[in-house]
Amino acid sequence: MSTKQAQLAMVIDSSMCIDCKGCMASCKIANDSPEGQWRNWVKHSVPDFTARFPKIHFQPGGCMHCDNPTCVQACPTGATYKDKKDGTVHIDSSLCIGCGNCIPACPYDARFRNILTKKADKCNFCAERREQGLMPACVDTCPTKARVFGDINDPESEASRLLAKNADRLVRVVNAKTDTKPNMIYLGETAPLNWPVEAKMPTAMVALTSVVNPLVRTVVGLSGIGVAVMLVRQLIAGSGSEDDVHDESGTDSQNKGGDA
Amino acid sequence: MSQKQLKRHDRSDIFIHWFNAVCWLLLLITGLALFSNPEIDPVGSGYPAFVRSLVGGGGNLLLIHVTLGFIWAGGLLLYIMINLKGALFFLKEVFVVSPARDIPWIIKKMVIMTVGPKPLGDNAKLPDQGYYNMGQKAFAQASVVGCIVIVVTGIIMFLSDRTLGAEATALVSWSVTLHYLAVGLVFAGLLVHIYMAAISPEERPGFLSMFTGHVPEGYAKHHHKIWYDKVKSDSGSES
Ligand code: HEM
Ligand code: SF4
Ligand code: SF4
Ligand code: SF4
Repeated sequence: MSTKQAQLAMVIDSSMCIDCKGCMASCKIANDSPEGQWRNWVKHSVPDFTARFPKIHFQPGGCMHCDNPTCVQACPTGATYKDKKDGTVHIDSSLCIGCGNCIPACPYDARFRNILTKKADKCNFCAERREQGLMPACVDTCPTKARVFGDINDPESEASRLLAKNADRLVRVVNAKTDTKPNMIYLGETAPLNWPVEAKMPTAMVALTSVVNPLVRTVVGLSGIGVAVMLVRQLIAGSGSEDDVHDESGTDSQNKGGDA
Repeated sequence: MSQKQLKRHDRSDIFIHWFNAVCWLLLLITGLALFSNPEIDPVGSGYPAFVRSLVGGGGNLLLIHVTLGFIWAGGLLLYIMINLKGALFFLKEVFVVSPARDIPWIIKKMVIMTVGPKPLGDNAKLPDQGYYNMGQKAFAQASVVGCIVIVVTGIIMFLSDRTLGAEATALVSWSVTLHYLAVGLVFAGLLVHIYMAAISPEERPGFLSMFTGHVPEGYAKHHHKIWYDKVKSDSGSES
């Protein structure tokens, strides 16, 4: 990634997470998520009861504001886009038509179709709070400070310092088939790891990009060539050509071989 | 003009044609800028961003496009209501094809218009045509079917984030695809339509008729023989 532009990211030490779900609750309130719909989550590993104390690992997450966002590829209108200024993946809800293309295109199931607005919804790194100089709600709330938020292209940020300090133990949770280059970076071992799914482009979008778009371009191109050929012929043959032009005055319309 | 004129278009026909043409132009300008995806780039990568910046963002652009779309579809509906007879006459003339006459016509016409009549030799004479020739019919058929697809898919997309639930998103997604397909194919025909109607010299009287409503008898006899004969015999039997 470029070093000049900002890339907001979340650096998470998931071993600190105590599964209090404070991040989920504060996110829901800060962003008015409807009942039953969440912008973030806390996943957990399969509990290991063989040890003396049962072991379980919690993993907070949300939209990963990926560098290679498959959700952006799936969006026809550009309502979902990667903001070049801060590196977040943003939804312009005034432009979103709620087609839902982007939802299966995210390997992390980070998106949902908001049942109230009927448009795509997901974590936006609390854009509204950031504008007021506040930290994202989930980061603010976390009692153990498991979530650290900042510009990882700014070496002075806390997130960058954490990354530098843990350079040899950074984990990005990705699906082997769809590496979206997520900007949610876990420190040390985290679990679970194998939950992201392969990004799925809706069939209609695949048809649009791989069949309909080339077809339309070809047909319009051929038609344009056809018109150009006719125009050239018209200019060369001239309107005086008696092959295809009838008597313009039209006083008597005897046929002259061509057009009848 | 000394020559006798035949009535070809009603005032409402002329109005709806130019209303439709203006709407199409504006809908194309705004609609092409509504696609903003690295994989679909019909005009060029700077175009959507440029148009969006003109109108103050993609949200406004969507609003403008949808509003224009409703004005357009509403205008067409109004025309059908006001001039149902004219609309039905149009549909009949457009969709009734006589293969024996029309297929040779379109093939020969394409040869003549692009490479000239020479390859056809003595066969260059075109079969007689009715109110519309086969080229006009083909374009009009594509327009009618295309416009129905465009309006229906447009309404589905409009309703998507208003009334439709999450279970309808596949329908919405296919509507995006079909909307573009229909516009693209009609647009390909439109290039030829505009050339034939406005640039090609031989259709000049037809072009003028889209303003005056009349064509000279000679032109009608020459280009639309079957229609000409019918008008003549009808008026003969009536008067
Ligand atoms: C600059 C743009 C256009 C010009 C100069 C033009 C010109 C004409 C003319 C002169 C006619 C009358 C032909 C006749 O009856 O002899 C006509 C008919 C027609 N126009 Fe257009 N038109 C334009 C745009 C459009 C558009 C955008 C559409 C629809 C998408 C359209 C659809 C039709 C149809 C369906 C007919 C009747 C069938 C035919 O004549 O092909 N036109 N046009
Ligand atoms: S996590 Fe999903 S929704 Fe978020 S940017 Fe990546 S692909 Fe898009
Ligand atoms: S639902 Fe998703 S893919 Fe569809 S317009 Fe909205 S952001 Fe884009
Ligand atoms: S950054 Fe904001 S929107 Fe994203 S998960 Fe945290 S609280 Fe929710």
